[in-house]
Amino acid sequence: MLNTDFMLQVAKATIKGVPVTLEIVIVSLILALPISFVFALLRLYSVKGGNQFVKLYVSFIRGTPIIAQILIVYSAFPSLLASFIGKSAFAIDPINYAYIVFTINAVASLTEVFRSALQTVDRGQYEAGTMVGMTSSQIFRRIILPQALVSALPNLTNITLGLVKNSALAFIMSVKDITAIAKTEAAFNYSFLEAYLVLWVYYLIISYAAELIFKSLELYFGRYRKQVKKRHYSNKEQLISVTTDKRRSPAQG
Amino acid sequence: MLKIRGLKKSYAENEILKGIDLDVKKGDVITIIGPSGAGKTTLLRNITTLESADSGKIEFENIQGDYSALTRQETKKLRQSIGFVFQNYNLFNNKTALQNVMEGLLTAKRMPKQEARTEALKALERVGLLEYKDQYPVQLSGGQQQRVGIARAIALKPKVIFFDEPTSALDPELVGEVLQVMRSLAHEGTTMVIVTHQMRFAQEISNKIVFMVAGRVVESGTAQAVFENPRAERTRQFLAETLVQY
Repeated sequence: MLNTDFMLQVAKATIKGVPVTLEIVIVSLILALPISFVFALLRLYSVKGGNQFVKLYVSFIRGTPIIAQILIVYSAFPSLLASFIGKSAFAIDPINYAYIVFTINAVASLTEVFRSALQTVDRGQYEAGTMVGMTSSQIFRRIILPQALVSALPNLTNITLGLVKNSALAFIMSVKDITAIAKTEAAFNYSFLEAYLVLWVYYLIISYAAELIFKSLELYFGRYRKQVKKRHYSNKEQLISVTTDKRRSPAQG
Repeated sequence: MLKIRGLKKSYAENEILKGIDLDVKKGDVITIIGPSGAGKTTLLRNITTLESADSGKIEFENIQGDYSALTRQETKKLRQSIGFVFQNYNLFNNKTALQNVMEGLLTAKRMPKQEARTEALKALERVGLLEYKDQYPVQLSGGQQQRVGIARAIALKPKVIFFDEPTSALDPELVGEVLQVMRSLAHEGTTMVIVTHQMRFAQEISNKIVFMVAGRVVESGTAQAVFENPRAERTRQFLAETLVQY
C-alpha cells in the first residue's frame, strides 16, 4: 500500500534538513536564554520601565500566532534592511529570519519560565546566606540560581519541544529544513502521505532525543532533590536494642 | 559584649517592639520567653539586621551607633561576627551537609577549600553528624537538618549565636537531639541568645531569662529568680500557664 522505496528516498533526501532544523532550534535557544533571563530579572525586581516593557512584550508575543509573526518578520525585515544596505539585503540566507522569529518567540515563554523558577527558591535560604556573611550576588550565584535553573528544566523541555515543532513553519520563509524538503519531495512525486509520514518520524526522533537530553540534565543537576532511602536509624534500632537488653537482663540477674 | 538600647520596630501602624534593652556578656546563655506575638522573633531578626529596626542603639565589638544609621560595612561586620539558627533550618537545598557548613567559610571568610573542609568537618562532628556529611537536606530528618544549621553557625566561630525557636518546627521525638547539641554548646561556653517555648530547657541552661509581653521586657533576671520567684504578676501568670503542662 505504501511506497516504501519512495519513503526511503524521502528519508535520504530529508536528512539534509535535519541540521537546519537543529540549527534553528539550538541557535534560537542560545540567543533566547540570556535575553529572557535578563527580562525575568527586570520583571522580578520591578525595574522601572523595564518591567512594563517586558510585560507588554510577553503578552504581545503570546497573544499572536507564530505564523503571523513569521509573515510580519519575513515581509518587514528584508525591505527594512534593504533601505540601509541596498539590494544585498535580499540575498541574506532566510535562516537568519528564522532565528529572529523563533528567538523572539522563545524569549516570551522563557521569560515567564525563569521568573517563576527564580521564585521557587524560598526566601529563607537567602536569609541564611546573609547570616553566614555572603553577599547578595554570592547568594544569587551559588544558592538561588542553581536551584532555579533545575526547577526551570521541565518547562525548558516543553519550550524546546515546542520550538522543534514550530520550526516546521520555517519553510514559509523558504528555509530548507526537513519540512521544506519533505514537501518538495512529496509534490515532485505526487506521494504526499509517504513523505509526510517520514517527516513525522523525523520530528518524533528529534523530540525524543531532546527529551532524553533534558531528562538526564534534570536527573544530574537535580540529584539534591532526590530522597534516597531514608535511614530509619534512630527509633527502631534503639527499640530493638532495648528489647534485647531486657530479654537478657533477667538471665544476667 | 553586645548592648542593645531602645530597639523599636513597627509594621505599618503596629508597633511590635516598643523599646527593648538587652545586654549580652561573653559566655551568657540568655533565653527570651513570652507569649505568642510578644515580639521575640522580631527582636532577634532586628538585632541581627535580618530586618531593619526603626531605631535603637547597638554596641558590639567596635560597632557603635544607631540601627537606623548602620553603614553597609558595619552591617557586614555585624553579620560576620554573629550566628543565626532558624526555626525552619533554611539549609541550602542544593548543597550537602558538609557544603552547607563550608559555604560561609569559603565565601565570607575566604578560607582555602582544604581548610574550610577541615573546619566544617569539625563543626559537623560537634553536632554528631559526621557520617551524614554527604547527604543533601531532603535526605535528613528535621532534627538532623537543624543540627546541620547549628554546625553551619558554629563553624564561623561567631561571637554570639542567635537561636530563633530552633525546635518549633520539629516532631516531638526529634526535639531532644537538637536541645542536646545546644546544651553541649552552652557547657562549652558559647554565647547564646535563644527564643524558645521549651521552658524546662530554658530554665536548665540559661543564666539569664528575659520575659517579653507585647513588645516590652516585663521582667529579666537569672533563671532561678524568674522561674522560682517572679516579681511581675504577668510573669507568674505566664509561667503558671506554660509550666502546668509538664
